[in-house]
Amino acid sequence: MRLQFHEPSVRVDPLQLVALAGLMFIGTAFVYSATMANASAALLPWYDQSWVRQILWYALGLGAGGALCLVDYLSLSRWSYVAYWLTILTLVAVLIPKIGSTHGWGARRWIDLGFFQFQPSEFAKLAFILAAANFLSRPLDELRQPVIFWKGMGLLFLPFVLILKEPDLGSALVLLPTGLVMMFVAGTPRIYLIRLVGIVGLLAVLFVTDVFFLPTGWWQIPMQPYQRDRLAIYFGCDYTHFAPPNATPAELQRLRQKELDDAYNVRQALISVGSGGPTGKGWRQGTQNALGYLPRAVAHNDFIFSVIAEEEGFVGSVVVLTLYAVVLFTGLRTAGQARDRLGKLVAVGVVTLIFSHVFINIGMNIRIMPVTGVPLPLLSYGGSSVLVSLIALGLMQNIYIHRKGY
Amino acid sequence: MLFFDQLKKNDPQLRLVAVMLTVGLLILLIGLWWVEVVSGRTYQTHLEIQSYRTVRIPAIRGRILDGTGTNVLAENRPRYNLSLNLDALRPKFDLAFGQLKKQVVAAQKQRLAAQETRLGRSLNKKERQAFAITTEEWEHVRQQARLQVVAGMVADISRRMATNIVFDPVKFERAYATRLAMPYPVLSSLSPQQIARFEENFTNFTVAELDLQSEREYPLGTTAAHVLGYVRRDDSSAQGEEAFFSYRLPDYSGISGIEGRYNNVLRGNAGTESVLVNNLGYRQSENVWSQPEPGHSVVLTLDLDIQQAAEASLAQHQGKDARGAVVVMDVRNGDILAMVSSPTFNPDYSQNDQTRMLDPFLKPENNRAMQENLAPGSIFKTVVAIAVLENGLNPNETYHVDPNPDRPDKGCYMLGHRKIRDEAPPGDYNFKKAFIHSSNSYFVHYGLQVAKAENIVRVGEEFHLGERTGLFPRHETGGNFPTLGNVQASDWRDGDTANLCIGQGDIAVTPLQMAVMVSAIANGGTVLWPRLAQRIEPLEAGSGGAVTNFPAGLIRGHVSVHPRTLNLLHEAMLADVGEKDGTGTAAAVPGMKICGKTGTAQVEDAAGRETGRNLWFASYAPYDNPHYAVVVMVQSTGGGFGGTLCAPIAHDIYAAILKKETAPPARALAASLLP
Repeated sequence: MRLQFHEPSVRVDPLQLVALAGLMFIGTAFVYSATMANASAALLPWYDQSWVRQILWYALGLGAGGALCLVDYLSLSRWSYVAYWLTILTLVAVLIPKIGSTHGWGARRWIDLGFFQFQPSEFAKLAFILAAANFLSRPLDELRQPVIFWKGMGLLFLPFVLILKEPDLGSALVLLPTGLVMMFVAGTPRIYLIRLVGIVGLLAVLFVTDVFFLPTGWWQIPMQPYQRDRLAIYFGCDYTHFAPPNATPAELQRLRQKELDDAYNVRQALISVGSGGPTGKGWRQGTQNALGYLPRAVAHNDFIFSVIAEEEGFVGSVVVLTLYAVVLFTGLRTAGQARDRLGKLVAVGVVTLIFSHVFINIGMNIRIMPVTGVPLPLLSYGGSSVLVSLIALGLMQNIYIHRKGY
Repeated sequence: MLFFDQLKKNDPQLRLVAVMLTVGLLILLIGLWWVEVVSGRTYQTHLEIQSYRTVRIPAIRGRILDGTGTNVLAENRPRYNLSLNLDALRPKFDLAFGQLKKQVVAAQKQRLAAQETRLGRSLNKKERQAFAITTEEWEHVRQQARLQVVAGMVADISRRMATNIVFDPVKFERAYATRLAMPYPVLSSLSPQQIARFEENFTNFTVAELDLQSEREYPLGTTAAHVLGYVRRDDSSAQGEEAFFSYRLPDYSGISGIEGRYNNVLRGNAGTESVLVNNLGYRQSENVWSQPEPGHSVVLTLDLDIQQAAEASLAQHQGKDARGAVVVMDVRNGDILAMVSSPTFNPDYSQNDQTRMLDPFLKPENNRAMQENLAPGSIFKTVVAIAVLENGLNPNETYHVDPNPDRPDKGCYMLGHRKIRDEAPPGDYNFKKAFIHSSNSYFVHYGLQVAKAENIVRVGEEFHLGERTGLFPRHETGGNFPTLGNVQASDWRDGDTANLCIGQGDIAVTPLQMAVMVSAIANGGTVLWPRLAQRIEPLEAGSGGAVTNFPAGLIRGHVSVHPRTLNLLHEAMLADVGEKDGTGTAAAVPGMKICGKTGTAQVEDAAGRETGRNLWFASYAPYDNPHYAVVVMVQSTGGGFGGTLCAPIAHDIYAAILKKETAPPARALAASLLP
């Protein structure tokens, strides 16, 4: 039998690269629009301005992603567990008050490295995918063993719990579908998955019911107040439900006022998106943003999509969705053409991760998902998110380069 | 195609993933379509509601002009206010807050350190919480920062304007809380020098700006105050206007007089401006949606010369605090040429002394020409005269008046046990003599015997006594006049008729009613509707707006009286002023034949003691071709008679009229040539 050595084709996936370029261009343009509306920001020197920094991260990310393509991903995957445990370490570190910083948000998510705000949860997501792919690309028989299943669960829940502790509900949540889909594609027996989904679903329903719909007095699961508030707004639950039994009318009034204030972001995002109409108001002509109704703090990251929707309208939104769709489906094509299960799993993991971010973030902007602080990949302003997205897509290109040749 | 290839894969798991991706993206697509395309309009409306404020811009108020249409009695003058543009101050607010914040945080750190040294250890999280600065405290710091900046700004402006401006922090905070999008006034009513100073010293000072508002002005001071009325600050929406505005600029509404009666006409229609605000409420830009429509001007029938002459005469003879009224009317068409009420007030209401305005005795706001119920006294004998002459009295028949035992030089009349005193001497009287001496005895006698109460009442009703004229509906009284029913009732006594004959008792009139009555007597029996407003015209001549004319000489009724009777009455009235025995000789003006009747009505308290007198002089001129009716009324507490106190005032008025009529025609011509 002749061994056939497959020459790695140097062909990259051009369509994905074009879509990436499109997204990066849009990202720069709208971070510019979102931040330049603030007069004082416009006065900063060019190297301090957000859109310039975004370009810098794009360049770094492209460099890192490109560098990864030079090495066969199989060799890289040997380092996957190392990367995984390193990120677990950083996740633990960020929880320590002296090391992790909150930037005044109340959630300890960043490690301040001076020039770079390092967000461990972003890197943990990628490391998890690599480690999980490595873990799951074992023979199918082994996957059927319950021990292996529980080990896999542990692999998932460790970063999940640590991220949840920061607290960062959104980032923790995206791990769940990613892990689930990877296990499904890997060939984990259906019955385990169904049970898992069933238990998680049941827990979620119980959780929501307990917090929102049971009369006060029953034991409530402890939650950060702002998380509970965000979910309350999503479910349309009145804040006064959480008032102590002997609250005075003045206190109830204050709660209602707080509810209005907290729902402010979502309301403004909806108005931004809706008032864009079919064609939008034009680049940098978004009044919601310029007048400050869309809070400046979130306009350029979590709610960047609102800015795009207001300024480019339905047409612009569809363009963004299409670009993401191209990235996702080329990723699936890569998964289908991957040389081995490892590649397939990594590709599927990355695709699901990106899709989860897109779905939660855009959903948050149009109120079909609660506000959870998940960035929009490549469009939101944020070094860690951009780096991780480009590295992940670099891995995808890597898998594509080394795909099954004919 | 890329998408469909993935969906048709052989690999079932990847196919499922592809399907889920597609479903997810479709959900997002449909959601976006729903929000942006279907509900786009709704969200655009929400955007506008939260970011636009509406401002009501009042229209220019119409002017009030005299009968010639050229002399201005009420108009508007511009008022410039120096205001701060709060949005331009916002960066300064933030800067000041930043500096204060540093201080506050430093102070907090010091307190923490002090506590720690006191306890000898580090504080735990809970203890630190107690030192945390609450949102209310931060709000207070923010407020301090604002006040600091604005106080400094006001001081700077004070320096540049060389005027001392006092900064009121409470007023500023209230404006900040309720009217953030509007400019904050710092200095009001700038003088022309101050405006010039502003233009010189504030060229690059973008924070301060000049705002223009209009103020009501009465160039002739207190002239015709009661006719003009006054205005009060009122920025509410009129009928048919937009009811809701975020802010309203100052506007006025008339309260009394012409300002009140024709308020809707004068006020015009307000305009709307929209102000774009950012999320903090600061003004970003403004845009006028609809221009205000200026009000219309009202041209009155007043003759300014006669009005001013009447006012001057009353003040000169009786003093500034005299309680009295003058009405001058054109007998041919009912036009009011002058209406004076004293004491008067300043239509520029804030200029008035408030204690004087509230004085219950002076009552300056009261229009004594129309709003007071006054016993007419002997001027009512004109009505009685018509009643007795029409019912067959021979004017040449004499009646003997007996002397009053208590005062033998005056006459008296015995009605049963009651003695009715007379100011006229005893003796024989025919109609004319009784009239010019104003003999109570004669008129009571023949009033009871010949006319009887019913006929007197009938004649009075023909003159429309006891009824309002409708000039100022809420500021007029119809007086008091007995009805036929009253006089035919069982409790109507001869004594009541006697009182009626001398114009006392259950009868009350206003000088305006008396002017209508004298005009009717003068013009041959036509009772006219008095007219004060001549026409309503657009503010700008030649702007093409509609002119509404109020017809002159509207007939209200007729007094059924023989010309012969009227002639007798006219002669008697002429004699009252012309003959040396007459009570009204003080009114005589050489060169003019004036006819009149004096009146002196007593005002008594419950015990019947005199507390004051209403003094009257009702007249018309000239005898040959009646034109003017002049009624003068003075309320006196110190005695006096209509002939001694009121007739001289009428004299001055007729003198002024004569002077005006014989004046060179050039002045009148010039007046008619002016636009």
